[in-house]
Formats: sequence, structure tokens, C-alpha cells
Amino acid sequence: MMRRPGGELATRPLHFIWITDCSGSMKSSGKIQSLNTAIREATPHMQRVADENPNAEVLVRVLKFSSGAQWHIAQETPVAQFKWDDLSAGGATDMGRALTMLADQMKIPPMSERALPPVLVLVSDGQPTDNFHKGLAALTEQPWGKKAVRIAIAIGEDADLDVLRKFIGNPEIDPLQANNPEALAQSIRWVSTAVLQAASSPASQTVPQPALTIGQSGSISQRSSQTAGGHVPVPQPVLAAVSGPVTAADVW
Amino acid sequence: MEAVGHAWSAVAASVRGAAHLRSGLPNQDAVRWIEWDGVTVLALSDGHGSSRCFRSDTGARLAASTATRVLSSELAGGRDVADLALIDRVARRVVAEWTLAARCDLRLFPFQRAELMHLGEKTGAEARASVERYPLLAYGATLCAVAVTPTGVLYFQLGDGDLVTISASGRARRPLPADERLFGGETTSLCSPRAAQDVRAAFQRLDGASGPALILVSTDGYANSFRDERGFLQVGPDLLAMLRAEGVGPVRECLPAWLEEASRLGSGDDVTVGLLYRGMA
Repeated sequence: MMRRPGGELATRPLHFIWITDCSGSMKSSGKIQSLNTAIREATPHMQRVADENPNAEVLVRVLKFSSGAQWHIAQETPVAQFKWDDLSAGGATDMGRALTMLADQMKIPPMSERALPPVLVLVSDGQPTDNFHKGLAALTEQPWGKKAVRIAIAIGEDADLDVLRKFIGNPEIDPLQANNPEALAQSIRWVSTAVLQAASSPASQTVPQPALTIGQSGSISQRSSQTAGGHVPVPQPVLAAVSGPVTAADVW
Repeated sequence: MEAVGHAWSAVAASVRGAAHLRSGLPNQDAVRWIEWDGVTVLALSDGHGSSRCFRSDTGARLAASTATRVLSSELAGGRDVADLALIDRVARRVVAEWTLAARCDLRLFPFQRAELMHLGEKTGAEARASVERYPLLAYGATLCAVAVTPTGVLYFQLGDGDLVTISASGRARRPLPADERLFGGETTSLCSPRAAQDVRAAFQRLDGASGPALILVSTDGYANSFRDERGFLQVGPDLLAMLRAEGVGPVRECLPAWLEEASRLGSGDDVTVGLLYRGMA
């Protein structure tokens, strides 16, 4: 057979980024330890899903925020080589700073146009102590920030659900509420598997445009509709009810 | 697959994507070409393939056949490709006739309760409601087409996909401007109410040996299989060199295997490529 025409072939990069709250409140009731355990235990499941979708090159990073924000795992790490490094907690909740740093990474370059929509997972137990809206605006100004699949996990009842909904930017997706270690583990695992699966092989969708309605006469009318990550159908979370003995210390 | 026209010939292939093979989805691309009354037309289409667009393989087939029929009839008899009124009419006719064809299909084969239930279970009540309100969503597809007459070339595109011309000296270029809305898996579509306005078109007059030696048309699964734009744009010049050195036979024979390899090692998507080449068969 003749040589194949064209340059090098490559699977499409899929950036998966954990954005984790490491503020002082995450120290209480073992929240940070539960988060460390949940992500560590979900990683093999994430690797399995990636194996089943070989046309997506899953690259994982971790961004943490407390007083300021910094990359905990800055290198784009192929999921097969990804190992979880434990986080520790202490400080404020500078979520806005984290989103601003994330926005820098959503530019083209360093992102490529042929990438799959990135998955951004925000995990928080509290309220931002800095300018969250400025950070979110910076993120959604970037093409991939706007198109990213944005998921949020609320740890405990003090998490600011309104802020997390704004981060998600899609009224069809609610923040996942994790009020104990088991619920957190389930939520982390769902994101690591079901959401990753959906993002790994998205189909084309029509450009965001007014929603379509067709009248009795056959006339077409429109109403405005635009959501983040709307081109990746995020499955409905199926999280089993957490049962069994639960002590007061287990509830956040 | 090959068609031989006046001075231009067409070769095309379409393969089911590696990801579609794994998930059991059909090939949702379609390609068709025709040579009629001095006009050679090649059209290909990519069905969106999302849950809402669960009949987009049919939508793609209707798109490719509608475009070849409309373009060949409008350009037959030596019509001028630079006639802007004709280009506007082609855009409106393609959209209108695709819409009619999709509605006929829907009338012949109404949505089954099971199809709608599956959609609702998979992607939620809102997705099901959107298809029930506007059933053409189920048929959503893109379109890339080229028509060559003895005096000119008409390039025609709605949605994602790639049109590339290769000059006799091997230089690749895109004849149509980019559409910034086509990003991150989103595309304009034949099923949109604005479809006729979303068409991009360009014409090029041919005078003697001027104009491209080869025109490559492909669905986005092909370009997405290359590490970068440069690697994709190298395809056309490589194919032109092969056509000149080996003739069309070996290229036609190898094309499906090349596309399968591209999908397997690249995007995983369905891949369809059409080639129009001049005077070397």
C-alpha cells in the first residue's frame, strides 16, 4: 500500500482539571482527608474510562486555592500516569484567583483548537473570600473556558450553592451536594467516570442559538438559550442514597 | 468509487469512525457526486450524531443527494458560477429541499415512542421536548460541496468540515473564510431556521490551465485526526503527487484504509473525503 498522505496523526487532548478548595474550613470534620481519599480511589476508575475511549487523550491537572491559588499538579499528566498527591488545608477561600489562573490555561495556545471540551471540576465547602465574579468573567472570556464542561461539588451545607451554580453556568446541571464522606466519594467517582465518558466522545451540536419552536401554522419562532458545556450531554447523576450508620461527626 | 467528467474526475470514500464502531453507532457521514451536462458536483455531509439528532445519518444522506441535485441542475448548460443571484438561489433551494426531504422522511417514518423515550432517558426531558417541538433537529447535518463547470468552480459550505484547494505547484489553501462559531464541537446546521443565511460560498473562474489541480473536501473527523493544521494541509499536496506518479487507481484503492487509520489513531469520528482532480486519470 502507498504511504498514507498528510502529517502525524494524534488523538484529541481532553483536559480534566480538579479545582479544589483548601481553605481552613476544609480541615474540620476530616473534609480534606475525605477529598484526598475520594480522588485517590476514583483515579483507577477514571483510568479505566480513559482506556475505553482511546481517541481521547485525557490529561489531568490540579489547581488548589486557599489564601491565593496555585497549581498542585501543574503538569498536564496523562491519566494513566496520574497519581494523587494529598492536599492540606488552611487559609482563606480565594476561588476568584483560582478561576483567573485557570483562565490563562484556557487560552489558545496553550490549548489547541482541536482539543475536546475540557472538564473543570470545582470542589468547595464555603464562600469565596475574593472577587469570584472577576475570576469567572476571565474564565468565560476564553473560548475553551466558555465551552468547558463545568461541574461543581458542594461539600457540606455551608458551601455557597449560588456561586457554584454560576460557575456551572448551565441551568440543567445542579451542584452535587456532598454532606458526608460517602456522598463525596460517590460524587467524585461520578465525575471521574460518567462525565469523563460523556466528554470523551461528544457529538457535534448546532451552534448556540435561540431555542426553536414551531407554531401550528408551521411558522418557526425562537427564544434565546445559551449554556456552558451544552455541546457535551452531561448525564444525570445517579448517586445511591448513602445508608447505614452515620455519626454526627460524619455529617458536614 | 470514481466518476469521470469533462476534464475533472471524482474519487471519494467514507468510513465508520473507530468510536462509532466501539459504541455501535452507524456511519453518520454521507458522500455523493455526479457528472451531468458539463458539471461535476461532489457533496458530503456529516450528521451531528448527538442524542437529539438521532436521525442525522438520514439527514446526511439527504443533504448529499439534495446538494448534488440542486447544484448540477442550477449550473447545467454553461451557467456562470459568479452569478451571485444563482449562488443565493442555490443556498435557499438546498436548504428548502433538504427540509422538505426530511419532513417527507418523518411523515413516512414518524418518531417511534421508543425513540423519544430513549432520548428522554438519555439526555433528559428538555432534549425530548426540543425534538418534539422541532422534529428537524433529529436530522441535523452539515454540508460541504464543490461544483466544477468548464468555466469555474463554486465552493459551498454550511457547518464544519474542510474544503482545500491544491494548486499545480502543490500549494494548499482554503477557498472559504473561517466561521468563528464553529468551535468546540458546535456547528451551524441544515436544521437551523437560519441555515440559508449561514451558508458560506465562494466562486473561482477557470481560464485555461488556471485554478486548482486538486480539490479536497472532508468531514471534520479527518482534520481532527491530525496533530496540527500543518499535518492536515499536507494531505492535498501528498495526494496530488501520488495521483501524478501512480494514477488514480492506487489512490482510490488505498483511500478507505487511510481514512480508517486516521479515525483509529486520531479523532475516532466518522471520516469522509472527496477528491476532485483535473485531467490526470
